[in-house]
Amino acid sequence: MKPSSQLSPEAVAAPGPAIEVAPSPHLADAGQSTRRMMIDVLIALAPVTAVAIVVFRWYAVQQLAICIGTCMAAEVFFAFLRGRRAPLGDASAAVTGAILALSLPATAPWYTAFIGSLVAIGVGKAIFGGLGMNLFNPAMVGRAFVMISFAGALGAAGYQDPAGRIDVMTQATPLTAFKQSGIAADLADLFWGTTNGSLGEISAAACLVGGLYLCLRRTASWQIPFSMLAAAGLLAWLDAGLGAGGWGVWHHLCGGAMLFGAFFIATDPVSSPLTPWGKIVFGAGTGALVMLIRIFSGYPEGVMFAVLLMNALTPLINRWTIPRPFGGQ
Amino acid sequence: MTTMSDASGAAALPPKKGWRDNYLVQGWLMLTLALAFGAVLAAVQLALGPAIAANKRNETFSKVPELVWGRELAAKMAAEDQTLGIETRNLPVTQNGQTTYYRVYDAVWNGQPAGWVIQAAGQGYADRIELLLGLSPDAEQVTGLFILDQKETPGLGNKIAADPWRGQFIGKATAAPLAVVKTTADQPHQIDAITGATISSRAVTEIVNRAVADLKTELAAAAGKAAP
Amino acid sequence: MSQNQPTALERFVQGILPENPVYRQLLGMCPTLAVTNNLLSAVTMTAAVMFVLVCANLIVSLIRDLLKPHLRIVIFTLTIATFVTVADRLLAAFVYPMSKTLGPYIPLIIVNCIIICRCEVCASKQGPLVAVADGLGQSLGFGLGLASIAAVREILGTGMWFGLRILPEAWPDWVIMVLPPGAFLTFGLLLGLVNWFNARRGVKEGA
Repeated sequence: MKPSSQLSPEAVAAPGPAIEVAPSPHLADAGQSTRRMMIDVLIALAPVTAVAIVVFRWYAVQQLAICIGTCMAAEVFFAFLRGRRAPLGDASAAVTGAILALSLPATAPWYTAFIGSLVAIGVGKAIFGGLGMNLFNPAMVGRAFVMISFAGALGAAGYQDPAGRIDVMTQATPLTAFKQSGIAADLADLFWGTTNGSLGEISAAACLVGGLYLCLRRTASWQIPFSMLAAAGLLAWLDAGLGAGGWGVWHHLCGGAMLFGAFFIATDPVSSPLTPWGKIVFGAGTGALVMLIRIFSGYPEGVMFAVLLMNALTPLINRWTIPRPFGGQ
Repeated sequence: MTTMSDASGAAALPPKKGWRDNYLVQGWLMLTLALAFGAVLAAVQLALGPAIAANKRNETFSKVPELVWGRELAAKMAAEDQTLGIETRNLPVTQNGQTTYYRVYDAVWNGQPAGWVIQAAGQGYADRIELLLGLSPDAEQVTGLFILDQKETPGLGNKIAADPWRGQFIGKATAAPLAVVKTTADQPHQIDAITGATISSRAVTEIVNRAVADLKTELAAAAGKAAP
Repeated sequence: MSQNQPTALERFVQGILPENPVYRQLLGMCPTLAVTNNLLSAVTMTAAVMFVLVCANLIVSLIRDLLKPHLRIVIFTLTIATFVTVADRLLAAFVYPMSKTLGPYIPLIIVNCIIICRCEVCASKQGPLVAVADGLGQSLGFGLGLASIAAVREILGTGMWFGLRILPEAWPDWVIMVLPPGAFLTFGLLLGLVNWFNARRGVKEGA
């Protein structure tokens, strides 16, 4: 394994030693490579994927297969266009595909997964210059594209399939049900994941298990999920205190894509800030935006837009939070 | 080339301010052009003004027969070259000390009131929705709905302008406010929401309800007076 | 002085591809992004721009010897504004629905840089024939740019061209393409394609 070749293809071309600029966390451990991080993410996604397959069965398998397959094919294709060897070995395309698949509803038609994957890798990543250069989280770019394009198939109504062979798919998602009819879901259902929703978001327990693994392995920095959930919880508490009954702090935290987003989407090391304080600002901003979108906008869920908006602010946050060296001015 | 020699001449004797430096003289070309262009624009306005005004009027007037009579009857009447007499009036509605005006088209056929068409507007999901609402002469029944202007999400919210959805309003009684339901409408005062565009559906229904609430009594009274 | 200036034919040809206003000069971005969600509005916009550009070029060229350097921009603007108003009234009188669709973008032609650029670069220096040829070439180039973007956006966003169905009913409309983000995406990708093509051609000619 050649760790240096994974991060900067230029480094391979240039002979001699190369100085690498890599996203945090900077560890002395030489084994810490992009490939390791990505495989860690895939391992962490396993519980979420397992729940999705148990609950949605064939639909989940199909969605995952299309997204991961298309993302990897797109990676090869765009690398070829740029005259480079496809960096499939770092598994980052597979991670993008898996996260995209898990953020789609079970009933999303095949072409949404296909187009979403192409846009995620093409517009989300390759156009900016490949892995490490992208401004926005590629999976969320792909999802936003298909979400706006095929709002009918992916919006709130897209989750329900009255003819579905699987029970949960006949229900509205908990957030939609609450937004439109004021019905609060049972907390235990939200926690274990027996409700309708995007493939990966339904079970809070599975997201927690995977997320904690990521944080303990330091593949994801704990600051982002922590501050995101804290900010969202605070706003949810204010909202619940101001009278919107039935949907309390724990509902907001366990429902929808909040946990999935906090652990797997917002923590993308490329599109989130580098500094510890920057990460806290980033997480808090994302959490606050999610709650604002949930409470005040027409959309039932806002994790995707919140993450994309904060991605756009990442360069600024990085500049504001440059740590002062000890003794420096 | 003339401008060049002018400029060099001015440079030779700098401080003296002659009549040539007067801004009116400097700008003679612009003033002449402004007058000429003004005349051209006046001519264009005189020639095209009536056509444009007619276009604007027709946009709403041409919808009135369909909204009052329904599509088939309106087409039949148009084929027989029969036209409705249409009068426009602005009705003031005062609420919380603020007066707003509704434009109301008063359709008359053979001296009898044929119905009302109200132009109403309100906030939609993306932007203002402007619509025409047809009511029976006694204002007890909705006879038609037409969306004049909307910028709702293409593919979802813009279905409010499509026939199947707005057709639901035809024949609804105005006695009770209309309500939007997400399941299949089975009560007479219920309207089916568009899948994925509940907000747009509610916005249109709200505009209709408010226009009816604001104007119903007044219109019914006016129609009663006109046809004793 | 006129010895070094391009001829009418050169001006005409230059405007279409080599100096294409949209892809090479990147001028007039507002209509390029705003009215390209279907081909019909793109073509109408092109027609309006062509009318204004040719008329303004002609008038400016006729009075070019009378222009004073410090007052020329005012006179360009005055001329352009007049013809834009005429175009706006003509559209409202004869194609009212299209005039409503294009809305503020017709009056905004006044501040379209392409026109003032052509008045300055060509019409205020060369004769009427060259100026008219230049106006025609530039507006054809503008139309080509608009139509290429509109063609992509309309076919993907609605499955139609000029409002006529091209793709089968089963085509899932890419709604984002007819919304503003679609304009930026399409324009960016097409511009990239044009640059890539030019770069390749440059390499070939160099070798």
